[in-house]
Amino acid sequence: MVQLNRQYDRANNSGEPIHVKVVGVGGAGSNILDRVMLDGIEAAELVAINTDVQSLTASVAAHKVQLGRNLTRGLGSGGDPELGYAAAEEATDDIRSVLQGGTVVFLCAGLGGGTGSGAGPLVAQVAKEENALVLAFAAVPFSFEGRRRCAQAEESLTRLRAVCDAVVCFENDRMAEITLPRMGIHEAFAAADLTVSQSIRSVAALLQRPGLLHIGFDDVCAVLRNGDARALFGYGEADGENRAHDALAKALKSPLMNRGALLENAFHAIVHICGGPNITLGEVQIIMEELNRHINDQTQLFMGIGIETRMGNRLSVSVLSSLGNGLGKPIAQFRQRAVYPVEPLPQPNVKPEPWKPAAVSELPPKAAAQEQAGAIGYAPERGEEELMLSSTQSETHKPAQTRPPAKLDAKSQTGSAKKVEAKQEILQFEPVSRGRFEKSEPTIIDGQDLDIPTFLRKNVRIR
Amino acid sequence: MARDNIFVGLEIGTSKICAVVAEARSDGTLKVVGVGSVPARGVRKGEIVDFETAKRCVHDAIVDAEEKSDVEISEVYLGITGSHIRSFNNRGVVVLEEGREEIDEQDLDDVRTNAREVSLPMEDCILHTIIQHYYVDGQDGVLNPVGLLGKKLEADFHIVYGIRTRIQNAIRCVKELELEPADVIINSLATAQAVLEKNQKQLGAIVIDIGGGTTDFVVYVDGAVKQSGVLSIGGDHITNDISIGLKIPSARAEKLKVDEGNVTLGTAFPGETILLKDETGFAGREIEREPLNQIIHERLREALEIVKRQIEADQNLHYVGAGVFITGGCSQIRGLEHLASDIFGMPVTMAHALPMAGVTSAFENPQFSTALGLVKYAHLVQIDRPASGGLIRNAFQKIKGIFRN
Ligand SMILES: Nc1nc2c(ncn2[C@@H]2O[C@H](COP(=O)(O)OP(=O)(O)OP(=O)(O)O)[C@@H](O)[C@H]2O)c(=O)[nH]1
Ligand SMILES: Nc1ncnc2c1ncn2[C@@H]1O[C@H](COP(=O)(O)OP(=O)(O)OP(=O)(O)O)[C@@H](O)[C@H]1O
Ligand SMILES: [Mg+2]
Ligand SMILES: [Mg+2]
Repeated sequence: MVQLNRQYDRANNSGEPIHVKVVGVGGAGSNILDRVMLDGIEAAELVAINTDVQSLTASVAAHKVQLGRNLTRGLGSGGDPELGYAAAEEATDDIRSVLQGGTVVFLCAGLGGGTGSGAGPLVAQVAKEENALVLAFAAVPFSFEGRRRCAQAEESLTRLRAVCDAVVCFENDRMAEITLPRMGIHEAFAAADLTVSQSIRSVAALLQRPGLLHIGFDDVCAVLRNGDARALFGYGEADGENRAHDALAKALKSPLMNRGALLENAFHAIVHICGGPNITLGEVQIIMEELNRHINDQTQLFMGIGIETRMGNRLSVSVLSSLGNGLGKPIAQFRQRAVYPVEPLPQPNVKPEPWKPAAVSELPPKAAAQEQAGAIGYAPERGEEELMLSSTQSETHKPAQTRPPAKLDAKSQTGSAKKVEAKQEILQFEPVSRGRFEKSEPTIIDGQDLDIPTFLRKNVRIR
Repeated sequence: MARDNIFVGLEIGTSKICAVVAEARSDGTLKVVGVGSVPARGVRKGEIVDFETAKRCVHDAIVDAEEKSDVEISEVYLGITGSHIRSFNNRGVVVLEEGREEIDEQDLDDVRTNAREVSLPMEDCILHTIIQHYYVDGQDGVLNPVGLLGKKLEADFHIVYGIRTRIQNAIRCVKELELEPADVIINSLATAQAVLEKNQKQLGAIVIDIGGGTTDFVVYVDGAVKQSGVLSIGGDHITNDISIGLKIPSARAEKLKVDEGNVTLGTAFPGETILLKDETGFAGREIEREPLNQIIHERLREALEIVKRQIEADQNLHYVGAGVFITGGCSQIRGLEHLASDIFGMPVTMAHALPMAGVTSAFENPQFSTALGLVKYAHLVQIDRPASGGLIRNAFQKIKGIFRN
């Protein structure tokens, strides 16, 4: 069943603009933040929060908060969430001042270590106190990282759920599924960062961009606010005649999607379709109809359409949902991997005492958080995207389309279907952004995407 | 004051937009009377991606040039680049009809038309048909066949074409600013006019313009354009690589590249670092020199190797006697001369435009080679065919052709 969402007329209201802050807590959070920044996010403030000064300095975020100046003195928390929490407590004022003014806070962290797990929930709480809508995007450890880290992550998840409006939980194991067998730990993390970054960017876009159809805060929360939810997220982009079908097919192929099979168990799902002004109703219909085959009758589908001239002839589909209860706890479900090509992460010193959830009682009850979320009124300004729709001159400067390489020989005719596949690989799994080249035609020579740094493609170890 | 003897070259570059105003003097030389330049926005890889923004920048560059030169600009020679631009060589043939033996101007037009009769994709249009050599009854070495006796006229041309709509973007941008595009010229061809002496063209030369978004090259053999190409790789790629590799924001990567970058490996002391100040109040970050250089090295080596491979594939490398001339903003990266001569195995010159009278600071900067080349090209064309007005008509036809359907 397709339901056009009720936010549609609200897009026309004028109201306060929304201020998005993306906050990375801990080492993984900071890496995800860098990813978000490299991939590009519109009109968002990036904030890095960490105990580890080295990681903070390296971060590309515009705002940085050091935790535990006295307690941890610039070092990490050594995998101890209690220490992470205390370090954050010490810096509460700094955290508050950097979060002030945010309407929506995306909190990202890798759970399992000390800082992300310990400080993350406190950061979320401060954000709530500042009246922001708080969405947490948390990566939970690889199974090979050991039981202790998994337990710490689970504990932290519980705390996050108690404060945040929604928690989306990403399993590193599954995000890296496709990269694991052939890649090292850095690539595995990078693949995971990419998935988390894409979903943050999609949700941010959903909330911010004026589109034909608009999805609101409460829709997003309804979809994400589910019990102990695991994120289902897929993103695909395509051009060419079959771009609608191709983009959806790719989105469903994303590692967190299980080819769409898991969607069947979802209660809600958000679909965001984004394309240039030439996007057609027919294409939207194709996507919604095909998607309908992957959901059950009870599933509520929220659809948003964004028009962005920079998309040119490309069309993208993001599908975001979460698995409800009843499928068991995510962390308990790690699959064992027989062989792993690189050394496992060093284990933190195992302390005999598990992390005592001492702070839990200070957290505001979930119900209160939800009320707050519902009360926030907003309506983004109408941007030029919408205006572009009716203007015909946009045709003339639409960004480059891909065209066959060099010369006019037979080689150049080799199916465009293949090209689509290759592009997808890069999009999903290469730890690389298009950055400044986002709006331009990729530089493909001899089948290589030369926009990707040479040193990465040639596997040159720098330093 | 708009005058007949004024030429304006306009390059809508990826990193800067630049307009050069030059005056043709009675002694046959050109004098640069003003250069307007503004940082470009809305341009990627040499092409406009954000029309309104780019248009505003072009406007500003034109105004700047008008102020500097005290010339009111109404007409520009427009440089074009982009990965869609392709080229090939083709021969045209004309057989004189029975009873006629002397080759005339019409035959030159016909042989050119004949060479252009190739089936290009619908979306494409021809930008240049550049004469390489004439043959009269199979004899080469003919500079100007008009008036010669013969039965058959053949001619080799270098033909450059590109996607019509993408060329239109730049033309439309100029037109919407009430400027007349006098002609559109591919950047590499223009740049070569600024950088090469006549005898270097004769000896054979490679000109490579490494800019912010593209690397444009042209190969001269025996005084004629034998090959041209555009690679959409430029300084932006280097900056992006640095930003990703060292995990620093692009603005800093750009500054680091310009201030500290060097393509030569092994020049830094082991562990030598550069202190990068952090505006947010944290202790500054140390950047190691060698990795920085390595990132730049990998990118530029790759770009130059691609250019070399393409020139080799067309079997032109062995006919280059005068060497490689590298210009454009990125030619200023330290050590590039060595790297390039290592790759090409021939002498390499870091080139800027040859001196002309007037604003000297202009041709000392390799970033202005293309725009200066545009006015040189315009001037050369005028000298070549002074009275006939044929080329002006051709240019007009060309631009009309680009807007056909
Ligand atoms: N997606 C992703 N996950 C990561 C990355 N690095 C670490 N992780 C995961 O995040 C968990 C927490 O690690 P960190 O973020 O480094 O730890 P921290 O929060 O900084 O805590 P301390 O270093 O102990 O103070 C790990 O157990 C990994 O599962 C990364 O770069 N990307
Ligand atoms: N001193 C320098 N050292 C290294 N790089 C430099 C220096 N000065 C400029 N650059 C780089 O040169 C590039 C700009 O060159 P240029 O002005 O020739 O390009 P453009 O004409 O704007 O672009 P394009 O022709 O590719 O569209 C930028 O990437 C800039 O970082
Ligand atoms: Mg850490
Ligand atoms: Mg240039």
